[in-house]
Amino acid sequence: MTSTACFIIVSRNDIPIYEAEVGSAAKRADAAQLHQFILHAALDIVQDLAWTTSAMFLKAVDRFNDLVVSVYVTAGHTRFMLLHDSRNEDGIKSFFQEVHELYIKILLNPLYLPGSRITSSHFDTKVRALARKYL
Amino acid sequence: MADPANTPLGKMLLEEITPVVMVLCTPLVEQSCLKNGISLVQMLSPFCDFTNIDVPVRTSSDQPYRLHKFKLRLFYSTDVRQPNLEVAKERLKQVITQAGEKNFLESSEPSQVNDFLSRPESEILPSWFQFFNKELVRTLSFSDHEAFDHPVACLLVVSTKDDEPINRFVDLFNTNKLPSLLNDGAMDPKILKHYLLVHDNQDGPLDKATKLFAEMRNAFGQNDCQIICINSSPDGQFHHQNNPWELFKPDALPTENLGGFLNLDDLNEIKDSLQELSSKRIIPYMEQKIRVLNQQVSATRKGFRNQIKNLWWRKGKEDIVDTPNGPVYTFNSIESQIRILGDYAFMLGDYELALSNYRLISTDYKIDKAWMRYAGVQEMMGLTYFMLDQSRKEAEYCMENAFNTYLKLGSAGRRNATRCGLWWVEMLKTRDQIKEAATVYFRICGEDTLHSAVLLEQASFCYLLSKPPMLHKYGFHLVLSGDHYKKCDQIKHAIRTYRSAIPVYEGTTWSRIKDHVHFHIGQWYALLGMYDVAVSHMLEVLASTHQSKTTQELFLRDFLQIVQKTGRTFEVVKLQLPVINISSLKVIFEDHRTNASAEAASVRESVWRSLEEEIIPSLSTTRSNWLDLQSKLIPRKYKESNICVAGEAIKVDIEFKNPLQIPISVSSVSLMCELSANPEEDANSSNIEIQNNESKTSTSIGDINLSLILSEVDFSLEGGETTLVQLTVTPRIEGILNIVGVKWKLSSSVVGLCNFESNPVNRRVVKGRRKAKHSPSNDLKFLVIKSTPRLEGFIHSLPKKTYAGDLRPLVLELSNPSKFPVKNLKMKISNPRFLYAGNQKELNADFPACLKKMNAENSGGHTNGKKMSQNVFHFPEDISLQEETSLSWPLWFHAAVPGNIHLFITIYYETEGVSNIMKYRTLRMHYNLLVLPSLDVSFELSARPSRSQEFLLRMDVVNKTSSECFQVHQLSSVGQQWEISLLQPVDSILPSQSLFAGQSLSCFFKLKDRRMSSASEDSTLSLIQSDVRLGPQDSSEAPFDVSSSPLADFHDCERSSQGLSCQGYEYKADFIFITQLPKGNIDSGAPNTPLVFSHHACDCSLSSMSPISWVVDGPRTIQHNFSAPLCEVNLKMTITNTSDSVASVHINTFDSPSSNSQPMDDATASQPPENQAGWSAIPVVSDTKIITNDALATQSSKPLSLGSVPQFIWSGSSSTKLTLQPRLTTEIPLQICVFAPGVYDLSNYVLNWNLTPVDNKVNQEVNKSSGSCQGYPYNLTVLEST
Repeated sequence: MTSTACFIIVSRNDIPIYEAEVGSAAKRADAAQLHQFILHAALDIVQDLAWTTSAMFLKAVDRFNDLVVSVYVTAGHTRFMLLHDSRNEDGIKSFFQEVHELYIKILLNPLYLPGSRITSSHFDTKVRALARKYL
Repeated sequence: MADPANTPLGKMLLEEITPVVMVLCTPLVEQSCLKNGISLVQMLSPFCDFTNIDVPVRTSSDQPYRLHKFKLRLFYSTDVRQPNLEVAKERLKQVITQAGEKNFLESSEPSQVNDFLSRPESEILPSWFQFFNKELVRTLSFSDHEAFDHPVACLLVVSTKDDEPINRFVDLFNTNKLPSLLNDGAMDPKILKHYLLVHDNQDGPLDKATKLFAEMRNAFGQNDCQIICINSSPDGQFHHQNNPWELFKPDALPTENLGGFLNLDDLNEIKDSLQELSSKRIIPYMEQKIRVLNQQVSATRKGFRNQIKNLWWRKGKEDIVDTPNGPVYTFNSIESQIRILGDYAFMLGDYELALSNYRLISTDYKIDKAWMRYAGVQEMMGLTYFMLDQSRKEAEYCMENAFNTYLKLGSAGRRNATRCGLWWVEMLKTRDQIKEAATVYFRICGEDTLHSAVLLEQASFCYLLSKPPMLHKYGFHLVLSGDHYKKCDQIKHAIRTYRSAIPVYEGTTWSRIKDHVHFHIGQWYALLGMYDVAVSHMLEVLASTHQSKTTQELFLRDFLQIVQKTGRTFEVVKLQLPVINISSLKVIFEDHRTNASAEAASVRESVWRSLEEEIIPSLSTTRSNWLDLQSKLIPRKYKESNICVAGEAIKVDIEFKNPLQIPISVSSVSLMCELSANPEEDANSSNIEIQNNESKTSTSIGDINLSLILSEVDFSLEGGETTLVQLTVTPRIEGILNIVGVKWKLSSSVVGLCNFESNPVNRRVVKGRRKAKHSPSNDLKFLVIKSTPRLEGFIHSLPKKTYAGDLRPLVLELSNPSKFPVKNLKMKISNPRFLYAGNQKELNADFPACLKKMNAENSGGHTNGKKMSQNVFHFPEDISLQEETSLSWPLWFHAAVPGNIHLFITIYYETEGVSNIMKYRTLRMHYNLLVLPSLDVSFELSARPSRSQEFLLRMDVVNKTSSECFQVHQLSSVGQQWEISLLQPVDSILPSQSLFAGQSLSCFFKLKDRRMSSASEDSTLSLIQSDVRLGPQDSSEAPFDVSSSPLADFHDCERSSQGLSCQGYEYKADFIFITQLPKGNIDSGAPNTPLVFSHHACDCSLSSMSPISWVVDGPRTIQHNFSAPLCEVNLKMTITNTSDSVASVHINTFDSPSSNSQPMDDATASQPPENQAGWSAIPVVSDTKIITNDALATQSSKPLSLGSVPQFIWSGSSSTKLTLQPRLTTEIPLQICVFAPGVYDLSNYVLNWNLTPVDNKVNQEVNKSSGSCQGYPYNLTVLEST
């Protein structure tokens, strides 16, 4: 498991709809906003990169010091962004794929408005479990 | 691509990588120059940049080419060394600080990013970046691993005033004073020398100088000497247009007249001499040196043989010490010479030559592991590639290689890496690879925090300028840069960068980012003492619900500190703390509708309106008088607005929510109101009083102003708490009142204002007459009219909680606090089952004794039935409430059914001559009470088979309370029809006469229809017998009088609420069951008072609803001698039609009971008996086993068991049909034949009856127009007679 990992789902309108600090490292007060800054900044690169490939998993797209941003773009252009400091690409890919399945289940919920914040606690638990498993 | 020389990087290189001339001068020369406010180097420097020369140059190749641009860099010998790091940093810091001050003052509000982008690039990019970069590059001059900073020539300057100038020239080039570069062997000390004699014209004529110059020429050679005259302008007032020195002395004061003593002749002289120096001395010297070195290099290094040799020789040196700088190369070493050759070639613009030499040397340095030099050469290679505009890839590769090599060296190479990076960046920018340039900027920062800040800011601009703009990155790098600035105490820069980032993050929901930016800007403005701006930024982060508790605390604390530092109370229009739920806004006001309590106000208007329908004057009848009058009185503009009465409070309910996890304290919450005089009444009035509460902030609750009273509320909210606050405003004079908004004080330092109007949210105005049509502004606008009387009402000791059946008197108290009388009082109660108005004389009656039967008075006919049916109670005409008097009126209360009961009472009254607008008012009272189930009473009536007009009444009572013990008192049947008596003494059923919690009781009574039996029975006795006392038999208490008020009235209500009229079917009876609770604990208001409970049951009817009753009469025991063939028994059946219709009855007898009767039994057993009013299923209680269904089952299964032995047959007709007129009785003879002695049950017959409705009367029992009845068991014993 990585010491630092921040997972965020960004809707197609660049709005974060789900955030989770899934790292095992002790939380620092300013870590959360730094992570947001890095992930937010990486959106530019994702924007460029997403249209150059047909793959959903874009691998590591950006880095800031030793933190790497890996991105997975769904067909609806929802972006799963993971900030991490490990090099476990396979694990990250599996993680993204499973989260994608969870996300689709969320989308299937007729009461969920696409693009709105994901508040399901079940989703949260599952994502954290996946993070423990793969990252 | 354009000519590389014209690109920014090309220009920079042509400026920076130029031959250096070391200047040595005597103090007197300097003195002369300083008269002009400039030093010698400063004086000469502007003329060292030759932009339009045309010098032919021939380097290694035979083809000469022409040089059009050339520049010399002049440095004092003392400056020809690596600059002091600290000093350099200090200078850079100064540059940055100055830029910060300047930009901070200039900076405007950050506009939209798109506006920003539409401006030209030069405007976006701050100009001081260029300057900073140049300065940063210059901190690295004169490093020993590069040769382009090594002085090419030495300029020796002596004044004519000096003693023995010739000797001075020699002394000047004293090795002791020379820079270390020349001394430590990095550079050839044999340097080109040029001698310059300076004559100050103020010191005397030129004659002496010319003489000296001739001497000089003899001593040093013809071409190496020059003379210039300066300070020819005697008064020092010579003004130069486009002063050439301004650039070179940026810190000069504007008033200073630089070069005031230098006239145009002097300038021309200086210019000419310098041009001569460069074109005639330096360029040829460099050409020559290049040629020499090139030959040397070719001889030693070029060619296959030399390469092999070199390779072998280098290999041998592999065991050398691996110092970070590699081996020391003196100027004599071939490596240094190649480098010099390359640099000279570069400076003279022969880039091909330079490149080939750089390539040559770079491999050598690499093998030697002289990394610093290697990186330097790589850097130059990259630049040369760039200048050649050849392979971009190569250029970039070289730059990257150089950069990485510098970085590998650690701290020593760090600054070189920075310079390399800057050049690299410029290279990328030139080639429109702006994005890559930004990453390089990012990579070169880190050596020094302050420099990093500037570099990061430059990186951010790169992202902004890249196509398409990368705004997210732009914002991020601005923030990073701001952080670095802050670390270096460059707060103004920090604020500037953060503010530039705001447009990027505006409108996003990346909340943590937004909080970070705003919070820090706020903090930093506070550090600068600009508290107002600080507060405005801090406001943005106050309601950050997603942050952790500690962060929220931090935000709030800092915010409050800043606010305190401002030393004044802030008024913030959009204060987010606490959050006001505008949709919860509820305005409660009273026009002609007044409320006795807050609960009454919260009831829906439609409830009241339906209740008041009957008592208030309808619009159609009053249109001619008061409404027309009103429209005249009230200006048209305000007709839509609500009416309120002066002196009466308008209440506004509003919800405050604390979004944070930490508690906050809110104080002085009050409404903001405007009260203006009615513009119609005095049009020219200017006394618009705006209660902006400015004067009231320090005052306490309920401060009395002349025209308005505003309440103030203080409260504190825990984390996440929501509270509903009621605020009131009481206008004291007539006029137009407008509720503008609400204001509050957060932590007693910040005043928050919330304007109701500005929020386009639907408000719920409780009493708005035409809510839907009203504009919101009108809902908060009130016409204040003159004070009118307002009744206050209260019901004393109405219990909040009670048991069903509770019967008690209450007192309604009405009081009129105003001076004017009110009259014509009317009252309506929503639920007369529970409450109705009594008589005034009952006010002081003794309860419960007043309910008992009076011996003297026959009060049977006295009920309020008529009053109840109307539901409107008119107070007597003569009652009018005078000034400050109160009226008490008795009410009767009966808890009819269990549940949560709402009682609505509205009282109408009229005022006379007070206001033209408001003639009447209503007082609305609302009470809510909880009625708990107490006793469950059910009755079942069944006919007695033997007696046709008597019935068996079974009463089942269950005590459903958990703790109470009821004392059974009496059971009464209502009306005169029924006579009731106990079947067995009470003592045997219920010895204690009280029902404990959970206990159930079944009682049987005999019920007799008095009309049928009145002829035979004594009429005086019957009156008493409609009541059965179940209580202690020996007590002398009179029973309760069920035929008088209030019991009879409540009974009527019960009946009407059950939808039953007074006249009903014949065999129906109403019962009232009365119990007492000696010590009632349920009502906390009046404990231990005895309570009376009455339970009403209406329309108890026969369980088998047959309008036909019959009795079979005959002998019960017969003795017969069965020697005779058969025994005939004669029976008589008496059939009575009790209905009002003609009945046709069909009697079927059958001998085999098993076949015919079976299906019928099944039907009756499985279906619950219909139409048994007063009966309900009673749950099985442990100690009672009597269940009605069981009884039915046993009854119906009886004939089956006996029927197996049919020992008799019906003789005579097996089927008899007859028609019975209403209420008639007839007799039918029946006969059976018995063949053997035994006991016979003669129940195997069926009566089928059919009712024919009478024409003029709608029969209620239409659904029961036909039916069939199983015969009663009738046991006949036949004995063998002996």
